[in-house]
Amino acid sequence: MDKKITLDHNLEVFSRIASLKIHTTKLVEGLLSGHHRSQNKGSSVEFADYKDYSPGDETKHIDWKVVGKTDKHQIKQFEQSTNLKATILLDASGSMGYESTNPKAIKKMDYARTLVAALSYLFLKQSDSVGLYLFNETITTPVPARSKPTHFKYILHELVMLTPQGATKLESVIESLAKQLFGRGIIVLVSDLLTKETGIEKKLNLLATRGMEVIIFHILDSDEVSLPFEGDIVFESLEDDSSIGLNPDDIRETYQREIQKKIKYYRSLCSNLGIDYIFLETSTPLEQGLTYYLSRRKNPGKR
Amino acid sequence: MSLNFLSPLYLFGILGIVAPILIHLLTRQKKKYLRFSAVYLLMEVKNRCTKRSTPNRFFLLFIRCMAIILLSIAMSNPIFSFNTSNNFATNNPSANVFIVDDSYSMGTQVNQETYYSSAVKTVLEIIQSLPNASIYTVVSGSSSGRILQEWTDAPGKIKKILETSQPSVRTTDIGLAIKQALRLLEPVSKKNKHIYILTDRDRNGWDKNYPSALETKIQHPLHIIDFSEMRSGVNQAAVTRSEVQQEFLNNHHIVKVKIKVANLLESKLINKLNVSLWIDGKKKIGGTIDIDADSSAEKELSFPLQSNDFLNGEIRIENDSLITDNIRFFSHQPDQTIKTLVVDGDPNTVEHLSETFYLERALNPFDSSHSNIELTFSTPGELSRLNLSDYSVMILCNLQDLPYGYEQELEKYSLSGGALFITLGDQINTKFYNEKLGGILPVFLKAIHTTTKNKEPFRFLIQPSKHPVLNIFKGKALQEMKSITFDTIYSIEAREGTNYTTPITFKNEFPAIIESINGKGKVILFTSSIDRDWNNFPIQPTFLPWIQRWIKYSARGLDSHLKKNLLIGEPFYLQKSSEKPTVYITSPNGKVTYPSSINGKIEFQDTDTPGVYKIYQDPNNFSTRETSTILPQLPYGAELIGSFNVNIDPIESIPGKISNDEIKSLLPETNITFSSGYQKLNVKKTGESRAISTFILILMGIMLLFEGWLVRKE
Repeated sequence: MDKKITLDHNLEVFSRIASLKIHTTKLVEGLLSGHHRSQNKGSSVEFADYKDYSPGDETKHIDWKVVGKTDKHQIKQFEQSTNLKATILLDASGSMGYESTNPKAIKKMDYARTLVAALSYLFLKQSDSVGLYLFNETITTPVPARSKPTHFKYILHELVMLTPQGATKLESVIESLAKQLFGRGIIVLVSDLLTKETGIEKKLNLLATRGMEVIIFHILDSDEVSLPFEGDIVFESLEDDSSIGLNPDDIRETYQREIQKKIKYYRSLCSNLGIDYIFLETSTPLEQGLTYYLSRRKNPGKR
Repeated sequence: MSLNFLSPLYLFGILGIVAPILIHLLTRQKKKYLRFSAVYLLMEVKNRCTKRSTPNRFFLLFIRCMAIILLSIAMSNPIFSFNTSNNFATNNPSANVFIVDDSYSMGTQVNQETYYSSAVKTVLEIIQSLPNASIYTVVSGSSSGRILQEWTDAPGKIKKILETSQPSVRTTDIGLAIKQALRLLEPVSKKNKHIYILTDRDRNGWDKNYPSALETKIQHPLHIIDFSEMRSGVNQAAVTRSEVQQEFLNNHHIVKVKIKVANLLESKLINKLNVSLWIDGKKKIGGTIDIDADSSAEKELSFPLQSNDFLNGEIRIENDSLITDNIRFFSHQPDQTIKTLVVDGDPNTVEHLSETFYLERALNPFDSSHSNIELTFSTPGELSRLNLSDYSVMILCNLQDLPYGYEQELEKYSLSGGALFITLGDQINTKFYNEKLGGILPVFLKAIHTTTKNKEPFRFLIQPSKHPVLNIFKGKALQEMKSITFDTIYSIEAREGTNYTTPITFKNEFPAIIESINGKGKVILFTSSIDRDWNNFPIQPTFLPWIQRWIKYSARGLDSHLKKNLLIGEPFYLQKSSEKPTVYITSPNGKVTYPSSINGKIEFQDTDTPGVYKIYQDPNNFSTRETSTILPQLPYGAELIGSFNVNIDPIESIPGKISNDEIKSLLPETNITFSSGYQKLNVKKTGESRAISTFILILMGIMLLFEGWLVRKE
């Protein structure tokens, strides 16, 4: 968790980080700010109330103006921002590297990358600590949670340097992560959930029962949903060496039914486990996802 | 199993598959590869989904290529066989003699094909399987032993000859064919020499005197291909004999045809086999016949003559798998008069005192041809100048003796079918008759018995008789015969080892008539005189029918001194003196032959067609030729003088087959392989050895329809 983070000083990387940062900043700034408030009172910038001084209180918090007026030692109380710990899990398996045949369409990985960056920025902007875990079969790149604004660049760096590869082993990843995370916090899973695994339900349940707030961003390319291809095609797997030759016309309807069935399954599963499930097609503007998230944070009881 | 092609050049058509392959290559879409994320899901879905909206282009290409290949194969006339003919194939060119049994039994039909046509196909298959530069010749396996095709290296020639050939009507003669084959192979320089015999293995075609009969040892491999196993249709019956007899005993002109039909089935009775008699192509009479298994039955078919025209007849039985032996030909000349030679042994210048005076009046009462008996009179001295074969009946009346050595001529005449009617009298030299005519007469003349005036004369013992001559004498006629008196008669004594009958006797039990058979002729001896010297019979009203009937009866073998019934291939001979007109013979197929004649003997060899051959003579031409000549038509004025029938030899119909072991024992030290023609051509059984072209064409059609459906769906 305390793994030292180093930055790649490559110019191109910097350029891409900068681009991502600008894009993300614009995206987030354009949305609502200040929606994320703590219900706990503590030392913060916003005044909340006064209380009588009692021994042990820090004298620096005595409002001397009030002492002058009332001759009573009053201490200012402020609304204290939570020290929220957000952990973002980003699927870095090969399947996330799918690039749509439509050149104008955003790549799935870029979509996920931007989403993660935006969320990170949002967390950090609200002084929450954010950690990023990239995974495929295992956690490949852990970025420990920090709340410093400068932590953002480390996150951006890892996002930029990310190369999707390997198979998705979500079960083992969640299991290992559950062992590392303590206390309450938010876990954001960004993945296409394209895996043959069947025990995900148990693992998600494990997280949910430990009091963690789990949000799943299920990202799929439009091609993956509709299978729009024509002619005889050999489909080669992005995660392993398997391939299959077929004409999509033959299976399109069945495939579409199958993928919708999966989405429905995850939606139903998450609903049952009290997990926020947001399905995003890459054709959907990213703002929608973030808007949902922010509205969710504003109205925590609303699911 | 093997697949052979009769027209292999069409196989080059297979190269036509280049066209669809090129089209496929030129129009094929480059295969797309796509790196995809949810391949595992595609796999799952594909396993559950059987739909195929577009055909596999390779499958389409395969179908198109197959259609072209099948078309080429079908055009090349393939013959599929389970028992490969490559058994005979060698790597080196070889000389091959094909002995194709073309006997008539090879005409047996099996599924619209004959053994012969199957044999022809097998020959062509074998030729197909032999290496290039091999040479072939084809020899007939029937008694003709003909070379159907001389040595050739062109299979096309063999094919042409064989496909236009038909089974002959001859019998099998494998020995003759092997001899021919060995003679043909002798000068051939090739190392590999083979003899193939394609036969139904009729037992009669194999000579028991092999190998000595072959003169040479068979040193080459001998392949015997048997077609007898192909029999699915059965040759159940054959007509083996037909004999015509005209009933001369009355004037109703009834013709009787005796037929004999053989049941060729070993263990099955034939019930009500249809038999019919045809005259000049029209059915005259029909009937049925029952025949026990493996035996023969006879039947007599009779019909009245409506004219005196020449009868060209056939006996037919209902068809079975071999048609050839269901027909037998016969002929008859109804208006043929009975030429009778009367030799008067007691001539007299006073006509009514002559021995033959009453006989002449009885046999030719109105000096016309009503009786169908044409009389020629002669004295013993004139006999040597006469040709006895011109006469059907010879009556010797009170003849003392014969010119020196003439008894041998008489015996020969009788043996060959001439009828002899001998009457006695006072001129008879008993010693001569008893010593010299032993070959003709079955009895010795013992003694003369005479009655005196006071004694009761000899009389016929009158009683109803079933004898063909006497059975008409009934009632009044019979009573009239009682009044006939005989003063003198001869008694007789039987010679040892002879057979004779006495159709009528005297009351004292002395024989009145002695009847015997001598060879093919009848001999009748009347023990009294034919004039009034010894009896009053000639002036009795019953004398005329009595003597006429005896003459006609004795003349039953009228034409038998000409061999009328020949078998296919047997030559016809006819004695002809230089004073006689020229003879012509017409064959059943209408061919007119001027036969060769050497030393007065006419010889006619061309008897290869079954049927009735007619003999004509040209009264205006007396020439002869040493070589036979074919004429475009009969000379004007030629008269029909006779006929002979040529029929197939029924021995070929006998179902007995020679076994492998018997053949091996007949041909020791010969390398013989046996195979079944049935297996070679079994394709049809499993779908039409008959050529499989049709099947392949149908398959091709189905493929094209399927291809069209796939493309349309696409």
